[in-house]
Order: sequence, then structure tokens, then C-alpha cells
Amino acid sequence: MTPLIYSTLIISLGIGTTLTFASTHWYLAWMGIEINTLAIIPLMTQSHSPRATEATTKYFFAQATASATLLFAATSNAFFTGSWDILQTNNPLTYTLMTLALAMKIGLAPLHSWMPEVMQGLTLLTGLILSTWQKLAPFCLIYQIQPHSPNLFMALGLLSIVAGGWGGFNQVQLRKILAYSSIAHLGWMVLILSFSPPLTLVAFSTYLMMTFSLFYSFMMTKTTHINSLSTSWAKIPTLTALTPLILLSLGGLPPLTGFLPKWMILQELTKQDLALVAVLAALFSLFSLYFYLRLSYAMTLTMPPNNPAGTLPWRLNPSHNTLPP
Amino acid sequence: MTPTHFAFSSAFMLGLAGLAFHRTHFLSALLCLEGLMLSLFIALSLWTLQFNTMNSASLPMILLAFSACEAGAGLALLVATTRTHSNSRLQSLNLLQC
Repeated sequence: MTPLIYSTLIISLGIGTTLTFASTHWYLAWMGIEINTLAIIPLMTQSHSPRATEATTKYFFAQATASATLLFAATSNAFFTGSWDILQTNNPLTYTLMTLALAMKIGLAPLHSWMPEVMQGLTLLTGLILSTWQKLAPFCLIYQIQPHSPNLFMALGLLSIVAGGWGGFNQVQLRKILAYSSIAHLGWMVLILSFSPPLTLVAFSTYLMMTFSLFYSFMMTKTTHINSLSTSWAKIPTLTALTPLILLSLGGLPPLTGFLPKWMILQELTKQDLALVAVLAALFSLFSLYFYLRLSYAMTLTMPPNNPAGTLPWRLNPSHNTLPP
Repeated sequence: MTPTHFAFSSAFMLGLAGLAFHRTHFLSALLCLEGLMLSLFIALSLWTLQFNTMNSASLPMILLAFSACEAGAGLALLVATTRTHSNSRLQSLNLLQC
């Protein structure tokens, strides 16, 4: 892809999210989301392989449907209340439909089935953009919808934690594991949204940092499968020592940072007299912890068979000088 | 719910059902998507007529522009799918299953 087109697409991605962030009118927010979708599609089909095309097609359908439903909900709200203001979405039918449309946009269960397959067909960099940047704009809108009852958000959140944990159980493809981890983390964020929005932001920012680091470490070793992960120790040994910390942080183990949002969310849920929900959320995130532990086990605690030449890359000059070899 | 609102809501729901239950052809899903956008266009045009406001009179045209961009992207993906998968049936999109 020529640099001009590439930079146009990246700038369009930035413009789309900024437009949604800066808008108070539902139409402008929808336009920002549409610009984001349209800008990322050429980035996804860049390699023109069958898997990339299939992933882009599935992504396009899911996002286009969700965008249209979002605009329909906004128009319905305008017909009901006479206002296009984002903070004035009062009709129950309307904000339920909006929440479901935005849930499909970011990949919350039960509208999450496009996410693992789409992530699988992309390069790691595009998957990174999909996991982190593309979640910002819809999340900003979810944050601003003020529902009257927390039931829908709690149901979406719990279902996502369950689906994200259970779905990633049997996966060996790293991108699918990252997709399921994304679904589970978004479930945690949405669970607490109606009780304490600042905790949602804490969870979201920690999720962004952890996912970015994990994707980046996979990009540096160019691994997309547990098999190649297990032989990646020879490429950058320092990274092999540090990546389990990222994985365990994603799993939510103290004293790592990933424990903080989970702790605060469980505390807030208990204060709101929802101890059962808190217990279910904590128990089902053990499933996610299982596959994070399996990744760190495969990466650091095992020594898979390798030919002698495969154990030598760390001795050579590194292609990127980001970590000391 | 006014009759106008009911009309475009049912049009939208029909298109959404068509998009959700598409079985064979890529193109039928794209057509349903266009139907969704058309019902939204009608809704926004009728907004201006019914509420007599000129504030949001340009919204249908902007919607048309975005809908055309999306349709173009969808058709480009149809062509790309036909090139890589040799047909545009939706059952052939099975490379990425778990």
C-alpha cells in the first residue's frame, strides 16, 4: 500500500474516533463510527489472502448492521422525544436498542460471534487496531447512554465474561485467544457501568495497555500459534521472561495491575448488594486465567523440541532494537 | 407511535430480519443492508416534513453519501470474495472456523 493511502486511512481512523468523542448529536456520532468502519476495511484486506477477505467480509456485515441499527435507534428516539442529543435518550425501547447495537459493535456476548473469526484472519497489527482503537468510539457512546435499570448491562457483562472465558478454552490460535480475552474484558467493563462509570474507565484503560503490550510482544516475535510461541524464547529471551507478567496481569492476578479493576468492580458490586453477580463474574474469569496460564506455561516453563539452529536467533543482531537481547 | 414512525420502523425491521436470516448469497445481504439505509433515509426525510424544522434538513443527504460509501465497500468486498473464494456464496466463507 502506498504511503499516501496508508496515511489517509490511519488519519481517517483518527478522525472517526475524534468525531464521535466530540459529538453531542447522535448523527455526528454515527458518522464518526461509519468513518472508522470504512477506514479500517482496506487495512484489513491489505494482504488479499482468502482469510483476510473473509475476515473483512464478516467484520463489514457485523459493523454495518450495528451502525444501521444504531442510527435507527437514534432516529426513533428523535421521533419519540424530539431531541437528537446523546444525553437525552430517555425512551426505554430506544436505549435498549442502542445498547444492543453498540454491544454488537464492540463484540459483547451474545453478539460476539464475529469477533474470533475476524481477529483470526487479520495481521497482528490490524488485530491490535481492531482490539484497541475501534473499541474507543462505541465505548464512548455506551458510556453516555444513561439507562434506568442496570439489568441489561449486567446481563451483557456476565454473558460476555462467560462467553469470553469458555470460548477461549480450547483455542491454540493466539489471535482467537486475544479475541476471547477482549470479549471477557469488555464484559467486566460493561458489568459495572451503571453503578460506577469511573471504574469502567479504569478497567478500559488497563485493558488497553495490557492488550497493546501483549499484541506488541506477539508482533515482535511474529507468533500466531501456541507452537510458535513455545519456540519463541530463542528470539528475544527478555521478552520471554516479561510476557507472562502481561498474561497474568490480563488474568487479573495481584500484585499486577490487571487485578486493580477486577478488585474495585467486585467491591462495588458487593456494595450494591449483588454478591451473587460478583461471585459469578469472579468464577468465570477463572476460565480466562486458565488460557492465559497455558500461554505463559507454553512460552516460559516448557522447552519444546527444536533443532539446534532454531535456538540461535538471540545471538544475532536484533532486527528491532526495542529490548536488550 | 405515529403512523410515520411505525411505517419506517417496520420497514427497518423487515430489512434487518432479511439481513439476519440471509442464507445463500452475499448480494442479498448487501441488498438488505441497502434496504435498511433506505428506510432510514425515508425516516430522516419525513422528520423534516413532519416536525417542520430546517435544522436537520441536510441529514438525509449525508446519510445517502455514507450509505453509498458503505455500499461501495460492500461491493468491493463481494468482488474480493469472488476472487479469493471463486464464488460469493456465504457457505464458502468457512476458512476461519475454530
